[in-house]
Amino acid sequence: MASNYTYAELLADNAWIRKSSDIFYWQCTTRTVQESKLFPVNPYIALSYYNCWYRYPELLRKIDAAMPAEEIGDRAREVSTGVNTIMLGIIQQFYLGGRQFLMDMGMINATDGIDDMKFVLDFTRRVNLGYHRQNSYILNSDDNNKGQIHPERTLQVFEADALGCKPGDKLHSAVVRFLATASQYAFLKNCECRLGINNSGPYKVGNNEMLVRDFIDLAEGDYPWLDGVTADIEYNNLTMPVIMKDTHFNIVDDWGSFEATPSYDHDNMIAVGLYTSDYLSNGYLPVHMNNASDLADYLDHSRETMATATSELWKRISGWSRDQMIDAGALVYYAVAKDLAHFAGVYEQNDWMQLEERTQRLKPIMNDEYGNHAIAELVGYISLSSQQNNPYNMNKWSDQPNDMWSAIPYSVLEGNEWTASVGPIRSGSTSLPPKTQKYTTTQGKLTQDECNAAARKFVSGPVAAGSKIYDDSWIKYNYASPEANNLYKATQENSRLLKGKGAGLSRADIDAIRIAAGEAPLGG
Amino acid sequence: MSQPKIIDDKWGKEAMMPTVEFYHSAIRRLVAEKFAASGKTWEEAVGDPSLELTRADFENIEQQLLATGYLFETSAQISFIEEPNKYKPVQGVGDSGTQGKDAQGRLIVGTGDNVFAAQDLEGTARFVGTVDVVMDMLINGVPEGTIAIIDDSGGTLTAPILEGFAGVVCMGATIRSHLGILTREYGIPCLMASELDGLVEGDRILVEYSKAAANAYAERDDAARALIVKIS
Repeated sequence: MASNYTYAELLADNAWIRKSSDIFYWQCTTRTVQESKLFPVNPYIALSYYNCWYRYPELLRKIDAAMPAEEIGDRAREVSTGVNTIMLGIIQQFYLGGRQFLMDMGMINATDGIDDMKFVLDFTRRVNLGYHRQNSYILNSDDNNKGQIHPERTLQVFEADALGCKPGDKLHSAVVRFLATASQYAFLKNCECRLGINNSGPYKVGNNEMLVRDFIDLAEGDYPWLDGVTADIEYNNLTMPVIMKDTHFNIVDDWGSFEATPSYDHDNMIAVGLYTSDYLSNGYLPVHMNNASDLADYLDHSRETMATATSELWKRISGWSRDQMIDAGALVYYAVAKDLAHFAGVYEQNDWMQLEERTQRLKPIMNDEYGNHAIAELVGYISLSSQQNNPYNMNKWSDQPNDMWSAIPYSVLEGNEWTASVGPIRSGSTSLPPKTQKYTTTQGKLTQDECNAAARKFVSGPVAAGSKIYDDSWIKYNYASPEANNLYKATQENSRLLKGKGAGLSRADIDAIRIAAGEAPLGG
Repeated sequence: MSQPKIIDDKWGKEAMMPTVEFYHSAIRRLVAEKFAASGKTWEEAVGDPSLELTRADFENIEQQLLATGYLFETSAQISFIEEPNKYKPVQGVGDSGTQGKDAQGRLIVGTGDNVFAAQDLEGTARFVGTVDVVMDMLINGVPEGTIAIIDDSGGTLTAPILEGFAGVVCMGATIRSHLGILTREYGIPCLMASELDGLVEGDRILVEYSKAAANAYAERDDAARALIVKIS
């Protein structure tokens, strides 16, 4: 019996595999080097890929049944969570990485797990399309490395409410100190990886540009190793829109990291804001944005809290066994899809914070050297046997006859030589202490069941007001309509300067509103 | 594609790295043996739990490699601490005895790529490469004027004390690594991809942090690299 694929579907999925393969190569070879003397980073990365291969099919189906992937992507654009550019851009990458390793080991064929592949590839494409809807691309790299996530109504609030600053003043100094400490803390709590940091933009603000900087999973929440040591961190996610002069962000890539020309310099920062949000928040909620002094004081307080958490967490981690370090790092990588479950109200700690037995069995070969070399061959050199193509082939970037992720053979359209699934997920385990504390949300500290119940009944103001159907293409010709005004007012609900202003505002109006409030326009 | 065979791949080739090739080919052999003995089709066999490789199988494969006397390169400190019999010890900074001198006749003990242009800095070289050293500095404070010599481009080993360094010289990675990102955020002068020769703990050094920031996309240019010279 042939597989469930139509020819057209398989063509589209193989194109998605190839696009993923090509962009992951570019990202891995130009954007980062993974190394740590504390964590065995590449061994845990390699191990995580297997957990993705074995567990994503069932868990993503569970999520999709509760809330379709594209709907989650759509809702995620209204807030900053782990459903963001970096996380969404790599779910299919890690899954395909597990497949490629297993193929190279001869443990599966390219024709195995075909129904699972079809579902996971479709799911990851839909959720990215929903999230990246504003610019109608699927990845930032399609848009010449721009992350245009937010619509006008959100950006108007960010611009209008941003608090001015200049080098040497209280707010500017506090922001610079905060960003350094938050970045440091993010790398540590995520076991050396950058998944806790995300950026979107740039967004044009007159002659200047705005970058929206997110710090995710800061407080007691899904990662059990944060319990206790981060009890004083109030907000799980923080978002800081930063408006810069004399700076062009020429790269905001598929991992949500940026480069600028000239190089990013804090001295060019002219205004900032601070918000928290999550899957239970009514959009972005301002954090201590009454005035510049109030925000500076809070940032200093937050910085001190994170610095303390960094020290305490480091002491905890430095006492871990290698097995615990491997587990924690692998779980951070594997759980890039976990916030999808939060949005859908089906999050379970054991789904996302355990490595199942089929993954655990591979630990004996995950020494430092194998981990480093296997990852280097897989995503850097593309030198594994299974990655080699016919000798006439030329890779998009390297011109070599190879591809990172193997396509699905079209033979599955006929005959019986294919298998459908890796089967149901199996029991998992972790060497880490179990989670003991509640989950930090914008609706308070909740139990797992309370989180899921709240998520299942929650609809934010902008979503209720029609954010799904009233996009900027519609707003362009209907901004005076009641529907448009309702949507903008829902987004402006917590705005310091725009509350109740509605959909008719132009950028000149934003300038005028700021001037009337005694604040300088930001367009340069 | 009814079954996998050893290197039954028209365009396949050996892996680049010996450890990867050893493991993957050993696993392929074992899978093929189990499959052949099962008498099943590949589609019947691939999801059959009774035919799956086990943790013991992977342990045996590693033992086969270790039995040849092979020792693994160490990356994380914890790996060597827990299993010193499996790993090569980490090598320190060598001393070729052939170092050049700068215009003032001072010994050049290293060069590196500057993360951002700052001011030249004189300080005391202190090697920060282990949990014990970091813990000591966390408890007792980072000595003033410390230029941390780090062989780790990550952002976690030195997380709780990074802010206390006067400068950083990192022997790993590139200016875009996590440590490069963090030192830039903190405004701590930093060289990445540093190559050291003859530098020892406690040396007074002058680091040319005033050099222009390295271009991450350019080919290596030795003349553009910042110097590390030994003062005393």
